[in-house]
Amino acid sequence: MKFLENRCGYCGACVSVCPLNILEHDEWKIILKEGCKQCGNCIEVCPLGAIEEI
Amino acid sequence: MNYDIIVVGGRVSGSISSLFASKNGADVLMIEKHQEIGTPVQCAGGVSDSFFKHMEMDPLSHNICTRVEGAKINTPDGNSISAKNKGLYGYILERKLFDKDLAIKSADAGTDIMLKTTLKDLIIENGTVKGVVVRHNGELIEIRSKIVIAADGVESQTAKKAGLDTHFKIEDLCSCAQYEMVGLDVDTNLMEFHFGSNISPGGYIWIFPKGGNRANVGIGVRNSPGNAHYYLQKFISQLNATPVEFNVGAVPVGGPVKKTYTDGLLVVGDAAGQVDPLTGGGIHISAKCGKIAGEISAEAIKKEDTSSKFLKKYENSWKKNVGSGLEKSLKYRKIFDKLTDEDLNNLLKAIQDQNLDSVSTFSLLKMVKGYPQLLKLLRSIL
Repeated sequence: MKFLENRCGYCGACVSVCPLNILEHDEWKIILKEGCKQCGNCIEVCPLGAIEEI
Repeated sequence: MNYDIIVVGGRVSGSISSLFASKNGADVLMIEKHQEIGTPVQCAGGVSDSFFKHMEMDPLSHNICTRVEGAKINTPDGNSISAKNKGLYGYILERKLFDKDLAIKSADAGTDIMLKTTLKDLIIENGTVKGVVVRHNGELIEIRSKIVIAADGVESQTAKKAGLDTHFKIEDLCSCAQYEMVGLDVDTNLMEFHFGSNISPGGYIWIFPKGGNRANVGIGVRNSPGNAHYYLQKFISQLNATPVEFNVGAVPVGGPVKKTYTDGLLVVGDAAGQVDPLTGGGIHISAKCGKIAGEISAEAIKKEDTSSKFLKKYENSWKKNVGSGLEKSLKYRKIFDKLTDEDLNNLLKAIQDQNLDSVSTFSLLKMVKGYPQLLKLLRSIL
């Protein structure tokens, strides 16, 4: 997944639906750890369209 | 550093958990990842009158925007109905001030607070949670405790690290965006709702007055082709108003998670899915559950028993208090999910000429006798 930092609102919606638990919500940062299987859950729930498939 | 209880998250459920744990004699630390409690806002700010009564506190004038006494419902065909009803009496809060006031109350009761502090891990020994590892000012710090309360919102990692399943399915997550806007022509005592598959698929648009010509204009969508911001932009383009604040968030509307306790840890608030599945409202439920979490945790400290067996009391208690309401609400949300735009239009027509200010179940039954499934829905809303 590709996170568009300039669009992100840091709400954590993507973190809450990641089935692999590889997203982490820091204060003003969403961290994507290794192991993404491109399921698309995070894209689906992002209120701002700030995540794209690679 | 050592504490009896560490609360992860400094919003409503976190502040209330820590407030009632401190009030009951526990040594409490609350950690919050942001540098200021209350921001960024992730809520429309509506609470009912019963909230303050239940929380044993009075509303503070500086964090209340306006008094609300009813609602205006707008259906997809452009029709609308307004009703004032005691069941809807409440306030629209200035959430950023309200949350900070709750944290201040908690601090006054003895809670320590650490800001800009992010949970990185839990300390787990012999299967029991014994504290947290946090990053604070760039440093990793271990803080030990007898109980950890996970109040870190919909994106909670705390409970997951303790082995609890707090994932939400995407169909149970409402994706939300909201502007605070100025220059609106709104009734300052009515909350306004707009429904329709074209304007807010899987959810609704709300306009919550904040006094004068200000209001929170927001949207929640689920399983929608476009994102929340897209639909909100479309809606506000018809309004002659100016945005002064923008917020985004997500609300779990699939009911509570399966288990909200384990050895040395409790989960509360949005992290536990303690949100009304029909309306997406969570302040009053989070507050009730937070109070129970704080009281039971303090009792566990006094009794020197932080085992899963003892902490189950928390789950039993919140289920007794709000469990059946959440179950009913989820059932109604599932009915609501099945309603078409035409169903909603017909429902409004059925009740349009009725006096809803003193509506009774019997009169509703007569109004919507052609739509028995809608009656259930109405009963839960009005």
